[in-house]
Amino acid sequence: MNDAEQPIAQQKSQLVYWIFQLTGWGVITLGRFIGGVTVLDLAWPRLLLELVLVNTVGLVLSHWLRDFVRRNRWRALPIRKLAWRIFVASFVCGAPIGIVTQFTYLSALVDPETFLREYAPALQFQLALPFAFALEIVNWALVFMVWLTIYFTALVVREHRSAQLKQSELARALQLAELRLLKSQLNPHFLFNALNTVRSLIGDNPARAQSAVTRLANTLRYTLSSRHDELVTLAQELDIVTDYLELESMRFEDRLRIERDVPASAASVYIPVMLLQTLVENAIKHGIAELPRGGLLRISAVLENEMLNVEIENPRPFAPISAAGEGVGLSNARDRLRLLFGTRATLDLDLSKPTVATARLRVPQQR
Amino acid sequence: MKAMIIDDEPPARRELRRLLADFPWVEIVGEAGNVEQAAGMIESLTPDLLFLDIQMPGGSGFDLLTRLEHLPAVIFTTAHDEHAVRAFEVDALDYLLKPIDPARLAEALTRVKSAHAERTPRPDDVLEQIFVRDGARCWFVPLREVRLLSSEGNYIRLSWGKANPLLGRALAALEQRLDPNRFFRANRRQIINLDFIENVELGVNGRLHAQLRDGTEVEISRRQTRLFKVKMSI
Repeated sequence: MNDAEQPIAQQKSQLVYWIFQLTGWGVITLGRFIGGVTVLDLAWPRLLLELVLVNTVGLVLSHWLRDFVRRNRWRALPIRKLAWRIFVASFVCGAPIGIVTQFTYLSALVDPETFLREYAPALQFQLALPFAFALEIVNWALVFMVWLTIYFTALVVREHRSAQLKQSELARALQLAELRLLKSQLNPHFLFNALNTVRSLIGDNPARAQSAVTRLANTLRYTLSSRHDELVTLAQELDIVTDYLELESMRFEDRLRIERDVPASAASVYIPVMLLQTLVENAIKHGIAELPRGGLLRISAVLENEMLNVEIENPRPFAPISAAGEGVGLSNARDRLRLLFGTRATLDLDLSKPTVATARLRVPQQR
Repeated sequence: MKAMIIDDEPPARRELRRLLADFPWVEIVGEAGNVEQAAGMIESLTPDLLFLDIQMPGGSGFDLLTRLEHLPAVIFTTAHDEHAVRAFEVDALDYLLKPIDPARLAEALTRVKSAHAERTPRPDDVLEQIFVRDGARCWFVPLREVRLLSSEGNYIRLSWGKANPLLGRALAALEQRLDPNRFFRANRRQIINLDFIENVELGVNGRLHAQLRDGTEVEISRRQTRLFKVKMSI
C-alpha cells in the first residue's frame, strides 16, 4: 500500500468503527426503552432521558477503552492474557455504570425482587439490595465484554485481510523482478538481429536458415528455463554457447572467428548456469561487434589443483586502461558466484592490455 | 533515386537488398559495413537516400551523419535501439525495425519519394540541411530556418527555433556551402539569415544594426556595410 492510500483506508476504518459504536449502543438503548415501556409500563420521557444519558456514558467509556487498549498494545498479547484483561476491564468499566443505574429509574428494568422470587427463593430478602447491585454490575460488565470481543475480532479479521493483501502484493513484486531478470537475460538486441539474420537466410540458404531457427530455439529455451541458482556442467554450458556463437557467426560472417580449447577433464566441472554465456555475450558486444574487422574470440579452460580456470579473450577497440565501466551483467555474475561458492570462486575482467579484454573465471571442482 | 545501404552485418544488407527489389525506382549504388568506409563512398557516390544502421563498429550511424558534407535523406534501420531513436527531437525522420516489415518499408519510401519530388533542384554545393548532434540530442536542421550562425571557437552556434544547438564545424568552412542569396556574413563572428531581418537601424557608433524577428541585434561590420546595403537594396 502506498502513502497516498493510507489515509483513505484509515478514514474508512474510522467510519466503520463509528457506525458499529452508534448502532451497538443505539440497539441497547432502544431495546431497553421498548422493554421498559411495554413490559414494565414506565413513564417513557424520563426513561428515555435516563437511558440516553447512561448509554452515552457507556459509549464515551468504551471509546476511551479503545484508546486505552491501543496505547497499551493489547492486540500483541497472547490470548490468555488478553482474555483476563478483557474480564477485568469489563468490570472496571461496568461497575460504575451499574452502581449509578441503581439510583435511577432504570433499576426497575432489572427487578431483583421478581428475580429472587422466580429463580432463587432460598435467598433471603435482605440480600436483595446487594444482589441488585451485583446483578446490575455484571449486566454492564457483560456489555463491555461483548464490546471488547467484537472489537478484537474485528481487528483480527482486518489484520488477516491486510496480510493477505500484502502477500499478494509481494508475490506480484517478485514476479515483476523475475520478469525484469528474464528481459535482461533475453538480450533483445541479439534476439532481433538473429531474427533478421534468419529472414535473410531463408532467401539465401534455406538449410542454414533451418539450422539457425533450431539454434535460436535452443538458446531461448536454455535462457527461459534456467534458474538463478542453478548449476550446470561446463560442457552443458558450452553447448549453448556454441549455439549462440553459431548464430552470431551467421550475423557477423568472417568478422567473428572462434577458438576453443576445453579438455574433457575441465568440461565436467559445475558452474553457475548462464555465466559463461554472459561472458561470451559481453565479449561479442564490447569486442567483436565494435571492431570493423572483428577478431578472434578464444575460450579456454584448464583444471588445475582442483580449480577450474576458464579464460575468455577477445580483441576490443583501443581504449586507455580504465578501471571503470563494469556492466550490470558482470556484477550480477559475480553476485551469483559468491552466493553459490562463497569466496572460493572468483571472476575478473582484465583490461590491462589496451586492445584485448580477458575475462577469468575460477571455480572450485568440488562445491 | 540513388540509395546506399550502411550496415555492419552482411545478411542484413542482403535482406534489405532483396526487399528493395520490389521498388525498381530505388537504385542501390553502394553498400558499406562501417562508418569510415561509408563516409568516403557517400562523398563520391552522392546518394539521395541512406539506409543507415545505428549501432556499428567504429562509430554509430549518428557519428557518420555529423561527418557528412552532402546530407542525403536518411531511413534508420535498427534491431533494438529505441533509446537512440528517441534521441531525435524531430519526428520527421523515419526508422525501420529489423526484421523489416515490407509494408513499413513501402510507407517510408513513399514519404522519401514525395519529399524528394518537392525539393527544388539546386547546385550541388549548396547545403539545404545539416545533421546536428549536441550532447544526447540530434536534429536534422533545415538551414533556411536558421536565423543566425555565430562562431564559438571551433564551433558554430545555430539559432534555430527554440533550440540553439552547437555544430562541430568552423564558420569559415560552412560559409562556402551556404546559399549566398539567403545568408550574409554580418561580421567576423556572425552570419545572418536575410529572411529573418525585421529592420535595420543606424547605431550610435555609425554602424548598421540588423534586428532579427526574435529581437536579436546583429552589428554589420564596416567592411560589409556597402555590400549589405546592396543586398537589402537600401
